[in-house]
Amino acid sequence: MEPSEFGRFSDPALLILASLAGGEKHGYAMMEDIEATAGVHLGPGTLYGAISRLEGEGLIEALPAVERRRPYRLTPHGAAFLRQYLASLQKFVSLGYKRLEV
Amino acid sequence: MPLAVRAWLMRLYPRPWRDRYAVEFEALLEQCLHSPLDVVDVMLGALDAHLQLLNGENVNWRLMNMLNKLRTTILIVFAAFIGFVVAGMALNGILDDSQMIPLMKTNPAPNIAMSIIQAGAIVALLAVVVGGLPLAITVIRRAVSVERRNLGLLLVPVISLFVLMLYFGFIFLVASGRIQIDGVVPVVQPGNFPAGNRLMLAGLMLVFILGAIASTLAVWKVISRTNVERETFQAWNRALDINIYKFAYIPAVVAACSMWVMLVATVIWSWLVFTTLPQVFVGDFGLWMTSTQVWISSIITVMVICSLAALFGIIHGRSAMIQA
Repeated sequence: MEPSEFGRFSDPALLILASLAGGEKHGYAMMEDIEATAGVHLGPGTLYGAISRLEGEGLIEALPAVERRRPYRLTPHGAAFLRQYLASLQKFVSLGYKRLEV
Repeated sequence: MPLAVRAWLMRLYPRPWRDRYAVEFEALLEQCLHSPLDVVDVMLGALDAHLQLLNGENVNWRLMNMLNKLRTTILIVFAAFIGFVVAGMALNGILDDSQMIPLMKTNPAPNIAMSIIQAGAIVALLAVVVGGLPLAITVIRRAVSVERRNLGLLLVPVISLFVLMLYFGFIFLVASGRIQIDGVVPVVQPGNFPAGNRLMLAGLMLVFILGAIASTLAVWKVISRTNVERETFQAWNRALDINIYKFAYIPAVVAACSMWVMLVATVIWSWLVFTTLPQVFVGDFGLWMTSTQVWISSIITVMVICSLAALFGIIHGRSAMIQA
């Protein structure tokens, strides 16, 4: 599974995974967290488009609803996926810095 | 944004998507749908969900919908089984101390039909217990640990049973003569069945039926609220990971088949009794010495409704079972 497979939801999907890496959250809490940490406003349609795909891929899982809000959390598969992606991103960042120094 | 706009936006999404996400998405829209850009974003999200369906993407909400179907199947078969039990107990009540018992001792045909009914009842009960046990354990576990609001509903069957036992205790005290009520005799005879006794026994039936309905509805509600498809059980020092609804499907099919077998056997048994003992059939040998044929017809009608409901449930969940 590659991040690009999420299509127009690839960035929101990664933002959601990173947000859930900090603990389980429901939709609105994810929106607020992503806005606060990444400065990105995700619309509700985009958020749930990404959530449904992430859930479909088994990267996140739904928890029992609290009133009408349903929290989600990262699955072990989702955590491994995020770790792998961040590692590859780190390599790319290091390479970019090296080239800038040359 | 007004409620009407939110409702309209929700309807743009495909039905299976709404079945899975509608409640939480509606709660989110209440909080964050402020600008026209958000409305456009939701519209694009709905379009994307339709495209996912058209593209045949393996999305989880379709799987979730299938699991919902399986859950509905299990609940329908369970409710049908409870209805069948009520009808079966009424049939048993008619049989008690009736002229049909000596008939069955001398005539093998109705005896065989009754044995088939009893065997069917045992098989159906075992199937419901085997299929429902992991589900019951899961529901109770979740109610204790997470979904505490379900605890009250789980008490409904317990309270219903308690009320029924209290009523039985009251009848026992009346029958033993410790409580005396005007118009009620301790022991009824064929020629002496006062209206007070009929009323008391009608009350017993009412308590039993209302308790069965309330318990079934409470269990239905608890299972519908418990959003768990898989559960891990420890057995023989091994961890068993079970998809509780898939696991319950085959026992549900067995229970439904048993209901049909019992229905056919009941119809045959009734016909045999009718042809051999017509005076019993047209007489007042039903519960509380009321019309036998009205009771038998009512029992068969309830059995037909329950068997049809169980069959509908099995067909409803069949496609989900194949794809889940």
